[in-house]
Amino acid sequence: MEQYKYVIIGGGAAGVSVAETIRQTNKSGSLAVISDEPHALYSRVMLSKPNFFLGKVPFDQIYLKGENWYKENQIQFLGGKTVISLDGAKKVLTLADGGEIQYEKLLVATGVQTRRLNLPGADKLGIHYLRTLEDGKKIMEHIKIAKRAVTLGGGFISFEMADLLKLAGLETTVILRESYFWKPILDEASGMMIENALTKNGIKIIKEAELAEITGGEAVEGVALKDGRQIPCELLMCGIGVVSLLDWAKQSGFATNKGILANEYLETNIPDVWTAGDIAEYKDLLLEENVQMGNWVNAREQGRVAALNMISNERKPFKFVSFYTTQGLGITIAFVGDVAPGPDRLIISRGSPEINSYGRIIIVGKELVGATLVNRTGEMATISKLIENNVDISAHHADLADPNFDLKKLLV
Amino acid sequence: MANTKEYIRNRAGSNISKIVIDRDLCIGAASCLAVSGDTYSLDNENKAVVNGADAADDATLIMSAESCPTKAIFLFDKAGQQIFPK
Repeated sequence: MEQYKYVIIGGGAAGVSVAETIRQTNKSGSLAVISDEPHALYSRVMLSKPNFFLGKVPFDQIYLKGENWYKENQIQFLGGKTVISLDGAKKVLTLADGGEIQYEKLLVATGVQTRRLNLPGADKLGIHYLRTLEDGKKIMEHIKIAKRAVTLGGGFISFEMADLLKLAGLETTVILRESYFWKPILDEASGMMIENALTKNGIKIIKEAELAEITGGEAVEGVALKDGRQIPCELLMCGIGVVSLLDWAKQSGFATNKGILANEYLETNIPDVWTAGDIAEYKDLLLEENVQMGNWVNAREQGRVAALNMISNERKPFKFVSFYTTQGLGITIAFVGDVAPGPDRLIISRGSPEINSYGRIIIVGKELVGATLVNRTGEMATISKLIENNVDISAHHADLADPNFDLKKLLV
Repeated sequence: MANTKEYIRNRAGSNISKIVIDRDLCIGAASCLAVSGDTYSLDNENKAVVNGADAADDATLIMSAESCPTKAIFLFDKAGQQIFPK
């Protein structure tokens, strides 16, 4: 049986961040990264970016680590392998190919999967989801021949893919179930700014609509909505959320909810097993609740903290103001901290859709907890520091509402 | 590199003398900020800018460049050699 001091399940942003951090201080402890994908670390976030997709940057730019990196750092990369079970008492992993691997310390960063359509016609050719490099390659090939595209969903995949499909010359329609983009994380005014950006660029939007069926023969020829409308398309891009595949984890004795549960040290309920990245549902000390946070920055930072905890006897809590940004069609959108709506939240508007620069500052009690920013990403860094430092802003509501007030002044 | 911005660094004892950001590659993922909020921020075009070139030590700076999902951060030593990405 193969044995390693450190084993990481997952070769994405979180898993590789763990390996990188371990190797900064521990050069010799044996280390293996098991990934169900065959590739060295690549940039999942670049998969939906026009510069990459439309060939403006070389394809290989997507690889963030060459195979040499693993060799140079004495990391055993076990690509194309899937873990099917764990025996926490014996500290042994079983792989789908029958192999077994023993670990001293284990990190689970298996990520999440795309949510799939479940309706008539969902197995036709031309329906795309975007998570892996293979998914990306398939779409890249398809946009060369397709004329009309539909993107499904009111979040970032749908937004970014609509942008690049349109740039690629396809007639593009966005269909969302909600009454505006990013509902309910954004308010309607912010959602309308995004909608205007889409329509100004010639993208059609159909709101409050649901698919009944995907029509066509072997390949997609269109979608039928529940209200009877038919939208012809050859390419259907689905951005309808993610799901955690937890069967193996549950059977192996992990405590789970929507993801694999962890405390603030990213420790799971199984001794010497940590978790990080999209799959981790951890106790967030800033939000004081269990959350799953799916973005690049979070995966990197969680990987770093989990690794520090794996290699040392000191326990370091994961405490981080998460943020996420997207851009396209001449608009930038940023989410900082806790942006979930709730009755206890006071929201201060900063700027307005009319001046094409609109932020929403979210306050609980005396402190800022989050913000959404449309065309104001320049304020993201300062806002995250205000949240992190628990700055009392109760006397500054008027300043926050003044779009020209320099937020940095509140940091001193 | 087409649309790049250079930032000269004069930190005492540092081997890194220049930080370059390729604004065409940058997508505003902001992972560099997460590693060193004293070095970087985003502008309103959602691109990373350096406003504290001397703020972080070399190891932190290399970590910030490694964290970038588009390899948009380039680091140069005093001899003008690119040290990241390798």
